[in-house]
Amino acid sequence: MSVKKKFKGLSDKAVGWLFIGPTVLLLLAINIYPLVYAIKMSFTNFYANKIGREPQFVGLKNYIKVLNKEAIWEKMQVTASFMFWTLLLQAIIGLGLALLLNRKFKGNELLTTLIVLPMMLSPAVVGVFWTYLYNPQVGLFNYMVNFFYDLGSFDMIGSSTLAPWAIVIVDTWMWTPFTMLICLAGLRSVPNYLYEAAEVDRASKWQQFIYITLPSVLPFLLLALLFRGIENFKMFDMVVELTSGGPGSATELASINLKREAFEKWKTGYSSAFAVILFVTIFGFGNVYVKVMNKIKER
Amino acid sequence: MKKIMILLFVSLFSFSVNSNAKSITLGWAAWDPANALQELTKEFTAETGIEVNFEFVPWPNFADRMLNELNNKGKTFDLLIGDSQWIGAGAVYGHYVKLNDFFDKEGISMSDFSPATVYAYSTWPKGSKNYYALPAMGDALAWAYRKDWFDRPELKSEFKKKHGYDLGVPANWNQLHDMCKFFQGREIDGQKRYGAAINTERGSEGITMGVTAAMYAWGMEYENPNKPYDMEGYFNSPQAVEAVEFYRKLYEDCAPPGHSDAYMVANLDAYKSGQVAFQMNWYAFWPGVSKEDSDGRVSGFFANPKQNVAAATLGGQGISVVKYSDKQDLALEYIKWFARPDVQQKWWDLGGYSCHNDVLNSPSFPTSTVYAQGFLDSMGIVKDFWQEPTFVELMLPMQEAIHDYVVNGKGTAKEALDKIIEEWVEVFEADGKL
Repeated sequence: MSVKKKFKGLSDKAVGWLFIGPTVLLLLAINIYPLVYAIKMSFTNFYANKIGREPQFVGLKNYIKVLNKEAIWEKMQVTASFMFWTLLLQAIIGLGLALLLNRKFKGNELLTTLIVLPMMLSPAVVGVFWTYLYNPQVGLFNYMVNFFYDLGSFDMIGSSTLAPWAIVIVDTWMWTPFTMLICLAGLRSVPNYLYEAAEVDRASKWQQFIYITLPSVLPFLLLALLFRGIENFKMFDMVVELTSGGPGSATELASINLKREAFEKWKTGYSSAFAVILFVTIFGFGNVYVKVMNKIKER
Repeated sequence: MKKIMILLFVSLFSFSVNSNAKSITLGWAAWDPANALQELTKEFTAETGIEVNFEFVPWPNFADRMLNELNNKGKTFDLLIGDSQWIGAGAVYGHYVKLNDFFDKEGISMSDFSPATVYAYSTWPKGSKNYYALPAMGDALAWAYRKDWFDRPELKSEFKKKHGYDLGVPANWNQLHDMCKFFQGREIDGQKRYGAAINTERGSEGITMGVTAAMYAWGMEYENPNKPYDMEGYFNSPQAVEAVEFYRKLYEDCAPPGHSDAYMVANLDAYKSGQVAFQMNWYAFWPGVSKEDSDGRVSGFFANPKQNVAAATLGGQGISVVKYSDKQDLALEYIKWFARPDVQQKWWDLGGYSCHNDVLNSPSFPTSTVYAQGFLDSMGIVKDFWQEPTFVELMLPMQEAIHDYVVNGKGTAKEALDKIIEEWVEVFEADGKL
């Protein structure tokens, strides 16, 4: 029987399911099942390294423990601060760069390529080489800062005041090009006749930016920030390589703490509860954000 | 052509069958002693025909990699040279083969090895006669110093004038601080130098191993000797608090800039590049340091200075047979060979730290290298971190709290130690010990 004949009797819906079936199965296996399993584990006192010890049901104990632990709230604050500053800086600098590169000038393509280079690197590699750039004795970053303004010897990674900024700077350096690219796509989709009409109406450049450019590019910028927000909420590798979460716990993000609880302390039940809380948080924020974004688009 | 291909295929196939049948895999950390062991093992292969494959994992990932392998009942390793703190988990969770029957059968006596190393690397419960490893690599935290700078007359006289005693091997931690501070920021041969490269690493065990060197010397005990797991007033005793405060002072006054997340390699680099007068490190690194200084003019070595008591942080490892290995017989053959006194002597000669009494008690041992006497001294005073099955859970809060206090400058030493006890109580409660 030919393949054509074999599929002849199938409805469009059935063929559709045939195509998406493998993907759905894969998603169920590697996303949904672990999620359900983690939720189940979060109600137990399971330790993955304690072989032969049966997990016992403990109800909401793990959730109460996570939410009552002061250290967890400290990690959440560190994460929130990291997200706030990286997103703010990436939005401002990314939009600025996009506006710059939206103009036609010689070397535009080359400059765009150079600017997007950092985001092509592995975050772990970026973390490692920035530790050298931040070295107080031989680091290029410290040299540059002192070249413009003599601060003397300062340690970006070893100081609890500076270390949070150290990770913000690296993340901004690495991921601003991403925001820039998306904003650039938005800028290039703005029809030229809008600016021509504004010129006819004698609108100033500032008014054109406020009433045409910004509303047009805003949905794109918000989308970029949504992606970056989700990524930075999960940020792990770059920060671990750069500061190991230190000094002390000054840069220990929630994801780093979660990894330590789950795979170093092996508190599987407790860390599953923590993971579920983080998931609900990001899922909730994500949903609200998307709704706000859609409203802005509709305007 | 066809014949050549068949021959090639057959020879390749026979090689793989052969290597599978007579080969074992040994896992250890990637460092100098591992290379020495690889060299030594060539003799084992020559004698027995058993190939030994090595998998050496960098220190920062060593515990993660090996413990995950054991927890997953992996068969990658037949032999494992695991940290002393892993012995509890190895025994309790059944990762390591109990070696008593094998030792009895082969006439291997634990009394032939240094008692401190047998206690630390082989036994569980501690001090019992249950052996899960053969002491393989003795080690302790010690100090190296720039002897060539110390020997300069102008520096010697300046130091004596300032402190009233000679610049030399420090007799206690106060003197160590004086000397480190003396070199901090000093220009020598046109370069700015610093005091000491000490352990400050946050991620694995670095700062804990460093700060406990001070805490042990101040007389800290982890628990009430008469009431196990009762830590209040012991781990956070006034002496322990003073030691942690002192360690912070040493970091603030004497560490080179940017030395806020440093352990073995970073300390070694700071020392070798001539940045610091002192480095804190494991004996395992001294053969490498002294190799480039054959006449002993540049570097001197000494055991951890005493303060209230003489004590040093234990390092080192025992060699164990992995329970999940399909080649336990071959792995045991390796241990039998490694336990031989002549092999142990070669082990020391190649740069490994033998724990065998025949090697350590040999009259020529103390003068065999410039650091041999220090090693002997240290092995008599070593103390180790918890060796409980939950040692990782116990290590992590200490890393965080101590780093927060020493490097981050957050809170007080007492608060840091109280916080650690709080977390440890939780761990012991979850483990059913409290």
